[in-house]
Amino acid sequence: MKKWFTIGSVLIFFVLAFSCHAAGPLATAETAVGKVIDVLRDPQLKSPASKEAKKDKLRIIYKDMFDEIEFSRRTLTRNWNKFTPDQRREFVDLFEQVLEKAYLDKIFDYSDEKIEFYKENMVSDKQAEILSKIVTSSKEIPIFYRMILKDGKWKVYDVVVENVSLVQNYRTQFNDILASSTPEQLLEILRKRVKEH
Amino acid sequence: MSKSDAGILWILLLIFIIAGCAHSPRGESSPPVQGQALTDAPGKTAFMTVMPVSDAAVTPQEPSAQKDDPFHDEYVDDEDDARDLHKDEKVSIADPIEPFNRAMFLFNDKMYFWVLKPAATGYNAVVPEPGRIGVKHFFDHLGYPARVLSCLFQADVKGAAEETGRFVINTLWGLGGFLDPAAGESLNLQKQDTDLGQTLGVYGVGHGFFIMWPVYGPSSPRDSLTIVGDHFLYAPSYIDPWYARFGVWSYEKINSASLRIGDYESLKAAAIDPYIAMRDAYIQYRMQAVKARKEKSLLFKYSAGAGQKE
Repeated sequence: MKKWFTIGSVLIFFVLAFSCHAAGPLATAETAVGKVIDVLRDPQLKSPASKEAKKDKLRIIYKDMFDEIEFSRRTLTRNWNKFTPDQRREFVDLFEQVLEKAYLDKIFDYSDEKIEFYKENMVSDKQAEILSKIVTSSKEIPIFYRMILKDGKWKVYDVVVENVSLVQNYRTQFNDILASSTPEQLLEILRKRVKEH
Repeated sequence: MSKSDAGILWILLLIFIIAGCAHSPRGESSPPVQGQALTDAPGKTAFMTVMPVSDAAVTPQEPSAQKDDPFHDEYVDDEDDARDLHKDEKVSIADPIEPFNRAMFLFNDKMYFWVLKPAATGYNAVVPEPGRIGVKHFFDHLGYPARVLSCLFQADVKGAAEETGRFVINTLWGLGGFLDPAAGESLNLQKQDTDLGQTLGVYGVGHGFFIMWPVYGPSSPRDSLTIVGDHFLYAPSYIDPWYARFGVWSYEKINSASLRIGDYESLKAAAIDPYIAMRDAYIQYRMQAVKARKEKSLLFKYSAGAGQKE
Protein backbone atom coordinates (compact mmCIF):
# COMPACT_ATOMS: atom_id res chain seq x y z
CA MET A 1 0.00 0.00 0.00
CA LYS A 2 2.72 2.42 1.05
CA LYS A 3 4.73 1.32 -1.94
CA TRP A 4 1.87 2.24 -4.25
CA PHE A 5 1.54 5.53 -2.48
CA THR A 6 5.20 6.28 -3.15
CA ILE A 7 5.06 5.24 -6.80
CA GLY A 8 1.87 7.23 -7.25
CA SER A 9 3.47 10.32 -5.77
CA VAL A 10 6.46 10.03 -8.03
CA LEU A 11 4.19 9.61 -11.05
CA ILE A 12 2.14 12.64 -10.10
CA PHE A 13 5.35 14.58 -9.68
CA PHE A 14 6.50 13.72 -13.18
CA VAL A 15 3.17 14.47 -14.77
CA LEU A 16 2.91 17.84 -13.07
CA ALA A 17 6.56 18.71 -13.66
CA PHE A 18 6.28 18.09 -17.36
CA SER A 19 2.96 19.77 -17.84
CA CYS A 20 4.51 22.88 -16.33
CA HIS A 21 7.01 23.15 -19.16
CA ALA A 22 5.91 24.45 -22.52
CA ALA A 23 6.67 22.25 -25.49
CA GLY A 24 9.93 23.21 -27.21
CA PRO A 25 9.84 25.42 -30.30
CA LEU A 26 10.66 22.65 -32.75
CA ALA A 27 7.97 20.39 -31.34
CA THR A 28 5.47 23.26 -31.38
CA ALA A 29 6.14 24.13 -35.02
CA GLU A 30 6.19 20.51 -36.11
CA THR A 31 2.92 19.74 -34.35
CA ALA A 32 1.20 22.76 -35.89
CA VAL A 33 2.40 21.89 -39.40
CA GLY A 34 1.37 18.28 -38.78
CA LYS A 35 -2.12 19.46 -37.90
CA VAL A 36 -2.28 21.49 -41.12
CA ILE A 37 -1.33 18.42 -43.15
CA ASP A 38 -3.92 16.32 -41.34
CA VAL A 39 -6.60 18.79 -42.39
CA LEU A 40 -5.33 18.83 -45.98
CA ARG A 41 -5.31 15.03 -46.12
CA ASP A 42 -8.66 14.58 -44.42
CA PRO A 43 -10.71 12.49 -46.90
CA GLN A 44 -13.94 14.01 -45.56
CA LEU A 45 -12.75 17.45 -46.61
CA LYS A 46 -11.51 16.48 -50.06
CA SER A 47 -14.50 17.72 -52.05
CA PRO A 48 -14.33 21.29 -53.40
CA ALA A 49 -17.55 22.07 -51.51
CA SER A 50 -15.82 21.66 -48.18
CA LYS A 51 -13.18 24.23 -49.01
CA GLU A 52 -14.64 26.75 -46.62
CA ALA A 53 -14.80 24.19 -43.82
CA LYS A 54 -11.18 23.39 -44.51
CA LYS A 55 -10.25 27.07 -44.38
CA ASP A 56 -12.00 27.45 -41.04
CA LYS A 57 -10.05 24.55 -39.60
CA LEU A 58 -6.76 25.91 -40.92
CA ARG A 59 -7.55 29.35 -39.55
CA ILE A 60 -7.79 27.95 -36.03
CA ILE A 61 -4.42 26.25 -36.41
CA TYR A 62 -2.50 29.23 -37.70
CA LYS A 63 -4.07 31.64 -35.23
CA ASP A 64 -2.64 29.41 -32.58
CA MET A 65 0.69 29.07 -34.35
CA PHE A 66 1.42 32.68 -35.30
CA ASP A 67 1.80 35.80 -33.24
CA GLU A 68 0.18 38.21 -35.67
CA ILE A 69 0.78 41.28 -33.51
CA GLU A 70 4.47 40.54 -33.25
CA PHE A 71 4.48 39.93 -37.00
CA SER A 72 2.87 43.32 -37.71
CA ARG A 73 5.09 45.19 -35.26
CA ARG A 74 8.20 43.77 -36.80
CA THR A 75 7.14 44.66 -40.32
CA LEU A 76 6.28 48.22 -39.33
CA THR A 77 9.18 48.74 -36.85
CA ARG A 78 9.40 52.45 -36.01
CA ASN A 79 6.37 53.19 -38.17
CA TRP A 80 4.27 51.25 -35.64
CA ASN A 81 4.43 54.31 -33.39
CA LYS A 82 2.87 56.52 -36.06
CA PHE A 83 -0.30 54.43 -35.87
CA THR A 84 -2.92 55.03 -33.22
CA PRO A 85 -3.98 51.95 -31.22
CA ASP A 86 -7.13 51.68 -33.31
CA GLN A 87 -5.17 51.95 -36.54
CA ARG A 88 -2.81 49.29 -35.26
CA ARG A 89 -5.69 46.97 -34.54
CA GLU A 90 -7.06 47.48 -38.01
CA PHE A 91 -3.63 47.05 -39.57
CA VAL A 92 -3.06 43.71 -37.83
CA ASP A 93 -6.48 42.55 -38.95
CA LEU A 94 -6.09 43.67 -42.58
CA PHE A 95 -2.55 42.39 -42.87
CA GLU A 96 -3.69 39.01 -41.63
CA GLN A 97 -6.39 38.90 -44.28
CA VAL A 98 -3.92 39.85 -47.01
CA LEU A 99 -1.62 37.05 -45.93
CA GLU A 100 -4.46 34.59 -45.67
CA LYS A 101 -5.60 35.39 -49.18
CA ALA A 102 -2.13 35.06 -50.60
CA TYR A 103 -1.05 31.90 -48.87
CA LEU A 104 -4.09 29.84 -47.99
CA ASP A 105 -4.83 28.82 -51.56
CA LYS A 106 -1.17 28.06 -51.98
CA ILE A 107 -1.35 25.62 -49.09
CA PHE A 108 -4.12 23.71 -50.86
CA ASP A 109 -1.63 22.86 -53.61
CA TYR A 110 0.12 20.60 -51.15
CA SER A 111 0.28 17.09 -52.52
CA ASP A 112 2.08 14.77 -50.15
CA GLU A 113 5.50 16.39 -50.40
CA LYS A 114 7.75 15.36 -47.57
CA ILE A 115 8.25 17.98 -44.86
CA GLU A 116 11.25 17.57 -42.61
CA PHE A 117 11.98 19.47 -39.45
CA TYR A 118 15.64 18.97 -38.85
CA LYS A 119 17.15 21.61 -36.59
CA GLU A 120 16.40 23.88 -33.68
CA ASN A 121 18.70 26.86 -33.20
CA MET A 122 18.16 28.43 -29.82
CA VAL A 123 19.20 32.04 -30.18
CA SER A 124 18.30 32.93 -26.62
CA ASP A 125 16.00 31.56 -23.94
CA LYS A 126 13.09 33.14 -25.72
CA GLN A 127 14.01 33.06 -29.37
CA ALA A 128 14.58 30.19 -31.69
CA GLU A 129 14.92 29.43 -35.35
CA ILE A 130 13.48 26.14 -36.56
CA LEU A 131 14.84 24.76 -39.80
CA SER A 132 12.64 22.66 -42.03
CA LYS A 133 12.48 21.76 -45.68
CA ILE A 134 9.92 20.63 -48.20
CA VAL A 135 11.25 17.96 -50.50
CA THR A 136 9.65 17.94 -53.95
CA SER A 137 10.50 15.86 -56.99
CA SER A 138 12.76 18.51 -58.47
CA LYS A 139 14.09 20.45 -55.50
CA GLU A 140 14.28 21.09 -51.79
CA ILE A 141 12.69 24.27 -50.46
CA PRO A 142 14.14 25.44 -47.14
CA ILE A 143 11.58 26.95 -44.78
CA PHE A 144 12.68 28.44 -41.47
CA TYR A 145 10.34 29.44 -38.69
CA ARG A 146 11.49 32.18 -36.34
CA MET A 147 9.80 31.78 -33.00
CA ILE A 148 9.43 33.72 -29.81
CA LEU A 149 8.39 32.54 -26.37
CA LYS A 150 5.47 34.52 -25.02
CA ASP A 151 3.46 33.61 -21.95
CA GLY A 152 4.88 30.13 -21.94
CA LYS A 153 4.04 29.40 -25.54
CA TRP A 154 6.23 29.37 -28.62
CA LYS A 155 4.78 31.44 -31.43
CA VAL A 156 5.98 32.02 -34.96
CA TYR A 157 6.77 35.65 -35.81
CA ASP A 158 8.58 35.23 -39.13
CA VAL A 159 8.79 32.66 -41.88
CA VAL A 160 11.87 32.49 -44.06
CA VAL A 161 11.25 30.79 -47.40
CA GLU A 162 14.32 30.08 -49.53
CA ASN A 163 16.33 32.55 -47.46
CA VAL A 164 13.81 35.33 -47.95
CA SER A 165 12.30 36.58 -44.71
CA LEU A 166 8.64 37.51 -45.01
CA VAL A 167 8.88 40.12 -42.27
CA GLN A 168 11.87 41.74 -43.92
CA ASN A 169 10.15 41.67 -47.30
CA TYR A 170 7.02 43.40 -46.03
CA ARG A 171 9.12 45.77 -43.93
CA THR A 172 10.80 47.06 -47.08
CA GLN A 173 7.45 47.48 -48.82
CA PHE A 174 5.75 49.27 -45.92
CA ASN A 175 8.79 51.47 -45.35
CA ASP A 176 8.69 52.49 -48.97
CA ILE A 177 4.98 53.25 -48.87
CA LEU A 178 5.09 55.06 -45.52
CA ALA A 179 8.00 57.20 -46.66
CA SER A 180 5.52 59.14 -48.75
CA SER A 181 2.12 58.20 -47.33
CA THR A 182 0.29 58.41 -44.02
CA PRO A 183 -0.76 55.36 -41.99
CA GLU A 184 -4.34 56.03 -43.09
CA GLN A 185 -3.32 55.81 -46.74
CA LEU A 186 -1.52 52.53 -46.14
CA LEU A 187 -4.63 51.17 -44.43
CA GLU A 188 -6.66 52.25 -47.45
CA ILE A 189 -4.32 50.33 -49.77
CA LEU A 190 -4.72 47.25 -47.58
CA ARG A 191 -8.50 47.64 -47.43
CA LYS A 192 -8.61 47.70 -51.22
CA ARG A 193 -6.41 44.60 -51.37
CA VAL A 194 -8.68 42.68 -49.08
CA LYS A 195 -11.75 43.67 -51.09
CA GLU A 196 -10.25 42.56 -54.42
CA HIS A 197 -11.39 39.33 -56.06
CA MET B 1 8.13 3.61 5.24
CA SER B 2 6.69 5.44 8.20
CA LYS B 3 3.96 8.00 8.13
CA SER B 4 6.37 10.89 8.60
CA ASP B 5 8.42 9.65 5.64
CA ALA B 6 5.34 9.84 3.47
CA GLY B 7 4.72 13.35 4.75
CA ILE B 8 8.23 14.43 3.90
CA LEU B 9 7.80 12.89 0.47
CA TRP B 10 4.68 14.95 -0.14
CA ILE B 11 6.44 18.12 0.94
CA LEU B 12 9.35 17.28 -1.34
CA LEU B 13 6.88 16.65 -4.11
CA LEU B 14 5.32 20.06 -3.63
CA ILE B 15 8.74 21.71 -3.65
CA PHE B 16 9.56 19.95 -6.88
CA ILE B 17 6.36 21.06 -8.50
CA ILE B 18 6.94 24.61 -7.45
CA ALA B 19 10.56 24.54 -8.51
CA GLY B 20 9.61 22.96 -11.78
CA CYS B 21 7.10 25.67 -12.48
CA ALA B 22 9.35 28.44 -11.39
CA HIS B 23 11.79 27.35 -14.03
CA SER B 24 9.19 26.85 -16.67
CA PRO B 25 10.10 29.02 -19.62
CA ARG B 26 7.44 31.64 -19.15
CA GLY B 27 8.55 34.88 -20.68
CA GLU B 28 10.14 36.56 -17.69
CA SER B 29 10.49 39.97 -19.21
CA SER B 30 7.35 39.96 -21.29
CA PRO B 31 4.78 42.34 -19.86
CA PRO B 32 2.94 40.57 -17.07
CA VAL B 33 -0.47 39.57 -18.24
CA GLN B 34 -2.64 39.58 -15.18
CA GLY B 35 -5.67 37.49 -14.72
CA GLN B 36 -4.82 35.41 -17.73
CA ALA B 37 -1.59 34.21 -16.22
CA LEU B 38 -3.42 32.75 -13.28
CA THR B 39 -5.77 30.71 -15.37
CA ASP B 40 -3.63 29.53 -18.22
CA ALA B 41 -0.81 28.02 -16.23
CA PRO B 42 -2.07 25.13 -14.13
CA GLY B 43 1.20 24.85 -12.23
CA LYS B 44 1.06 28.44 -11.18
CA THR B 45 -2.47 28.09 -9.90
CA ALA B 46 -1.45 25.19 -7.72
CA PHE B 47 1.42 27.23 -6.45
CA MET B 48 -0.84 30.16 -5.65
CA THR B 49 -3.34 28.12 -3.70
CA VAL B 50 -0.92 25.97 -1.76
CA MET B 51 1.78 28.40 -0.80
CA PRO B 52 1.46 31.63 1.13
CA VAL B 53 2.36 34.04 -1.60
CA SER B 54 5.52 36.02 -1.19
CA ASP B 55 5.01 39.51 -2.54
CA ALA B 56 8.20 39.81 -4.55
CA ALA B 57 7.51 36.68 -6.53
CA VAL B 58 4.08 37.34 -7.93
CA THR B 59 3.16 40.96 -7.58
CA PRO B 60 2.99 42.34 -11.09
CA GLN B 61 5.32 45.26 -11.58
CA GLU B 62 2.94 47.36 -13.63
CA PRO B 63 -0.66 47.19 -12.67
CA SER B 64 -1.83 49.56 -15.41
CA ALA B 65 -4.51 47.96 -17.55
CA GLN B 66 -3.28 49.66 -20.70
CA LYS B 67 0.05 47.89 -20.50
CA ASP B 68 -1.68 44.60 -21.14
CA ASP B 69 -2.95 45.75 -24.47
CA PRO B 70 -0.32 45.04 -27.11
CA PHE B 71 -1.90 47.67 -29.34
CA HIS B 72 -0.93 50.34 -26.82
CA ASP B 73 2.59 49.03 -26.61
CA GLU B 74 4.94 51.43 -28.35
CA TYR B 75 7.65 50.12 -30.60
CA VAL B 76 11.03 50.71 -29.01
CA ASP B 77 14.12 50.47 -31.13
CA ASP B 78 16.51 49.27 -28.47
CA GLU B 79 14.12 46.70 -27.18
CA ASP B 80 13.75 45.30 -30.63
CA ASP B 81 17.43 45.32 -31.37
CA ALA B 82 18.02 43.22 -28.32
CA ARG B 83 15.30 40.84 -29.35
CA ASP B 84 15.98 40.82 -33.03
CA LEU B 85 18.44 38.07 -33.69
CA HIS B 86 18.64 38.92 -37.33
CA LYS B 87 19.35 42.60 -37.17
CA ASP B 88 22.38 42.17 -39.41
CA GLU B 89 19.94 41.19 -42.10
CA LYS B 90 18.34 44.58 -42.38
CA VAL B 91 19.45 44.76 -45.94
CA SER B 92 18.61 47.38 -48.44
CA ILE B 93 19.86 48.55 -51.81
CA ALA B 94 20.08 51.91 -53.49
CA ASP B 95 17.64 52.34 -56.32
CA PRO B 96 18.55 55.54 -58.19
CA ILE B 97 17.05 54.40 -61.48
CA GLU B 98 13.75 53.29 -60.00
CA PRO B 99 11.56 54.72 -62.81
CA PHE B 100 13.53 52.75 -65.41
CA ASN B 101 13.46 49.65 -63.22
CA ARG B 102 9.73 49.89 -62.68
CA ALA B 103 9.21 50.20 -66.43
CA MET B 104 11.34 47.10 -66.98
CA PHE B 105 9.45 45.30 -64.24
CA LEU B 106 6.25 46.01 -66.11
CA PHE B 107 7.83 44.86 -69.37
CA ASN B 108 8.99 41.58 -67.78
CA ASP B 109 5.59 41.14 -66.22
CA LYS B 110 3.93 41.36 -69.64
CA MET B 111 6.59 39.13 -71.18
CA TYR B 112 5.85 36.53 -68.54
CA PHE B 113 2.08 36.56 -68.87
CA TRP B 114 1.90 37.02 -72.65
CA VAL B 115 4.85 34.96 -73.90
CA LEU B 116 6.70 32.85 -71.39
CA LYS B 117 3.80 31.48 -69.38
CA PRO B 118 1.63 30.41 -72.34
CA ALA B 119 4.65 28.76 -73.96
CA ALA B 120 5.64 27.00 -70.74
CA THR B 121 2.08 25.90 -70.05
CA GLY B 122 1.75 24.40 -73.52
CA TYR B 123 5.12 22.74 -73.17
CA ASN B 124 4.05 21.45 -69.76
CA ALA B 125 1.11 19.67 -71.33
CA VAL B 126 3.32 17.90 -73.85
CA VAL B 127 6.40 16.97 -71.85
CA PRO B 128 5.93 15.19 -68.52
CA GLU B 129 7.73 16.53 -65.47
CA PRO B 130 10.58 13.96 -65.33
CA GLY B 131 11.48 14.90 -68.90
CA ARG B 132 11.55 18.59 -68.03
CA ILE B 133 13.67 17.95 -64.98
CA GLY B 134 16.06 15.97 -67.20
CA VAL B 135 16.34 18.90 -69.59
CA LYS B 136 17.00 21.22 -66.66
CA HIS B 137 19.75 18.88 -65.45
CA PHE B 138 21.26 18.92 -68.92
CA PHE B 139 21.44 22.72 -69.08
CA ASP B 140 22.71 22.85 -65.51
CA HIS B 141 25.36 20.38 -66.54
CA LEU B 142 26.57 22.75 -69.25
CA GLY B 143 26.93 25.47 -66.61
CA TYR B 144 29.80 23.52 -65.05
CA PRO B 145 32.65 25.76 -66.32
CA ALA B 146 31.14 28.90 -64.79
CA ARG B 147 30.48 27.17 -61.47
CA VAL B 148 33.87 25.47 -61.14
CA LEU B 149 35.69 28.70 -61.98
CA SER B 150 33.60 30.56 -59.41
CA CYS B 151 34.46 27.93 -56.80
CA LEU B 152 38.16 28.25 -57.60
CA PHE B 153 38.09 32.05 -57.52
CA GLN B 154 36.39 31.84 -54.13
CA ALA B 155 39.05 29.45 -52.80
CA ASP B 156 36.41 26.78 -52.31
CA VAL B 157 38.55 23.81 -53.31
CA LYS B 158 36.10 21.25 -52.00
CA GLY B 159 33.28 22.80 -54.02
CA ALA B 160 35.41 22.80 -57.17
CA ALA B 161 36.30 19.14 -56.60
CA GLU B 162 32.65 18.22 -56.04
CA GLU B 163 31.63 20.05 -59.21
CA THR B 164 34.30 18.26 -61.22
CA GLY B 165 33.30 14.91 -59.75
CA ARG B 166 29.70 15.62 -60.65
CA PHE B 167 30.62 16.61 -64.17
CA VAL B 168 32.53 13.38 -64.81
CA ILE B 169 29.96 11.11 -63.18
CA ASN B 170 26.93 12.73 -64.77
CA THR B 171 28.56 12.81 -68.21
CA LEU B 172 29.41 9.12 -68.07
CA TRP B 173 26.54 7.64 -66.08
CA GLY B 174 23.91 10.33 -66.32
CA LEU B 175 23.31 10.08 -70.08
CA GLY B 176 25.48 13.10 -70.74
CA GLY B 177 23.89 15.20 -68.00
CA PHE B 178 20.17 14.42 -68.32
CA LEU B 179 20.24 12.47 -65.09
CA ASP B 180 21.90 13.51 -61.88
CA PRO B 181 23.20 10.31 -60.24
CA ALA B 182 26.00 12.28 -58.54
CA ALA B 183 23.50 14.04 -56.27
CA GLY B 184 22.13 10.70 -55.07
CA GLU B 185 22.51 9.59 -51.49
CA SER B 186 25.51 7.32 -52.06
CA LEU B 187 27.69 9.97 -53.73
CA ASN B 188 26.06 13.12 -52.43
CA LEU B 189 27.88 15.52 -54.73
CA GLN B 190 25.52 18.49 -54.80
CA LYS B 191 25.51 21.19 -57.41
CA GLN B 192 27.33 24.25 -56.08
CA ASP B 193 24.92 27.14 -56.14
CA THR B 194 27.36 29.79 -57.22
CA ASP B 195 28.20 32.25 -59.95
CA LEU B 196 30.57 35.09 -60.71
CA GLY B 197 28.47 37.80 -59.06
CA GLN B 198 28.70 35.87 -55.80
CA THR B 199 32.46 35.59 -56.28
CA LEU B 200 32.77 39.36 -56.20
CA GLY B 201 30.40 39.40 -53.24
CA VAL B 202 32.64 36.99 -51.33
CA TYR B 203 35.52 39.45 -51.78
CA GLY B 204 33.42 42.22 -50.32
CA VAL B 205 32.21 43.94 -53.48
CA GLY B 206 28.79 45.43 -52.85
CA HIS B 207 25.82 45.45 -55.17
CA GLY B 208 26.09 49.11 -56.03
CA PHE B 209 22.50 49.70 -57.00
CA PHE B 210 19.53 47.82 -58.27
CA ILE B 211 18.96 47.12 -61.96
CA MET B 212 15.96 45.39 -63.41
CA TRP B 213 17.13 44.00 -66.74
CA PRO B 214 14.57 43.23 -69.38
CA VAL B 215 14.23 39.42 -69.68
CA TYR B 216 17.07 38.66 -67.21
CA GLY B 217 15.23 40.22 -64.31
CA PRO B 218 16.57 41.59 -61.01
CA SER B 219 20.28 42.31 -60.85
CA SER B 220 22.92 44.88 -59.94
CA PRO B 221 26.14 46.05 -61.57
CA ARG B 222 27.99 43.42 -59.56
CA ASP B 223 25.64 40.58 -60.35
CA SER B 224 25.52 41.55 -64.00
CA LEU B 225 28.98 40.02 -64.22
CA THR B 226 27.15 36.70 -63.92
CA ILE B 227 25.23 37.43 -67.10
CA VAL B 228 28.45 38.31 -68.94
CA GLY B 229 30.37 35.37 -67.49
CA ASP B 230 27.59 32.96 -68.25
CA HIS B 231 27.69 34.16 -71.80
CA PHE B 232 31.36 33.36 -72.29
CA LEU B 233 31.55 30.25 -70.13
CA TYR B 234 28.39 28.60 -71.38
CA ALA B 235 28.69 26.26 -74.35
CA PRO B 236 25.33 27.08 -75.97
CA SER B 237 26.51 30.69 -76.42
CA TYR B 238 28.84 29.47 -79.15
CA ILE B 239 26.15 27.83 -81.25
CA ASP B 240 26.16 29.07 -84.81
CA PRO B 241 24.05 30.42 -86.57
CA TRP B 242 22.44 32.94 -84.24
CA TYR B 243 18.86 31.73 -84.67
CA ALA B 244 19.83 28.23 -83.53
CA ARG B 245 21.48 29.83 -80.53
CA PHE B 246 18.35 31.86 -79.87
CA GLY B 247 16.24 28.71 -80.22
CA VAL B 248 18.30 26.84 -77.64
CA TRP B 249 18.29 29.84 -75.32
CA SER B 250 14.51 30.22 -75.55
CA TYR B 251 14.00 26.53 -75.05
CA GLU B 252 16.07 26.64 -71.88
CA LYS B 253 14.05 29.61 -70.58
CA ILE B 254 10.75 27.90 -71.34
CA ASN B 255 11.87 24.66 -69.78
CA SER B 256 13.01 26.27 -66.56
CA ALA B 257 9.87 28.42 -66.43
CA SER B 258 7.72 25.32 -66.86
CA LEU B 259 9.06 24.00 -63.57
CA ARG B 260 8.31 27.27 -61.77
CA ILE B 261 4.89 28.26 -63.05
CA GLY B 262 3.06 29.90 -60.20
CA ASP B 263 6.08 31.21 -58.30
CA TYR B 264 5.90 34.66 -59.80
CA GLU B 265 2.12 34.75 -59.45
CA SER B 266 2.42 33.96 -55.74
CA LEU B 267 4.96 36.70 -55.23
CA LYS B 268 2.68 39.13 -56.98
CA ALA B 269 -0.41 38.00 -55.11
CA ALA B 270 1.23 38.32 -51.70
CA ALA B 271 2.91 41.65 -52.31
CA ILE B 272 1.54 45.07 -51.56
CA ASP B 273 4.04 46.57 -54.00
CA PRO B 274 5.27 43.70 -56.22
CA TYR B 275 8.25 45.65 -57.55
CA ILE B 276 9.60 46.38 -54.07
CA ALA B 277 8.78 42.84 -52.98
CA MET B 278 10.83 41.40 -55.82
CA ARG B 279 13.72 43.80 -55.27
CA ASP B 280 13.87 42.93 -51.59
CA ALA B 281 13.54 39.19 -52.17
CA TYR B 282 16.38 39.34 -54.68
CA ILE B 283 18.68 41.23 -52.31
CA GLN B 284 17.89 38.95 -49.37
CA TYR B 285 18.43 35.87 -51.48
CA ARG B 286 21.74 37.06 -52.89
CA MET B 287 23.01 38.18 -49.50
CA GLN B 288 22.36 34.77 -47.98
CA ALA B 289 23.98 33.09 -50.97
CA VAL B 290 27.15 35.16 -50.60
CA LYS B 291 27.19 34.45 -46.86
CA ALA B 292 26.91 30.72 -47.53
CA ARG B 293 29.73 30.89 -50.08
CA LYS B 294 31.95 32.78 -47.65
CA GLU B 295 31.58 30.00 -45.14
CA LYS B 296 32.90 27.56 -47.73
CA SER B 297 35.85 29.65 -48.82
CA LEU B 298 39.23 28.74 -47.39
CA LEU B 299 40.11 32.43 -47.22
CA PHE B 300 37.03 33.64 -45.37
CA LYS B 301 35.79 30.58 -43.52
CA TYR B 302 37.36 31.62 -40.24
CA SER B 303 36.76 35.33 -40.39
CA ALA B 304 33.19 35.08 -41.64
CA GLY B 305 31.73 33.00 -38.85
CA ALA B 306 34.32 33.84 -36.17
CA GLY B 307 31.75 35.43 -33.90
CA GLN B 308 29.24 32.64 -34.05
CA LYS B 309 31.15 29.48 -34.81
CA GLU B 310 29.30 26.39 -33.56
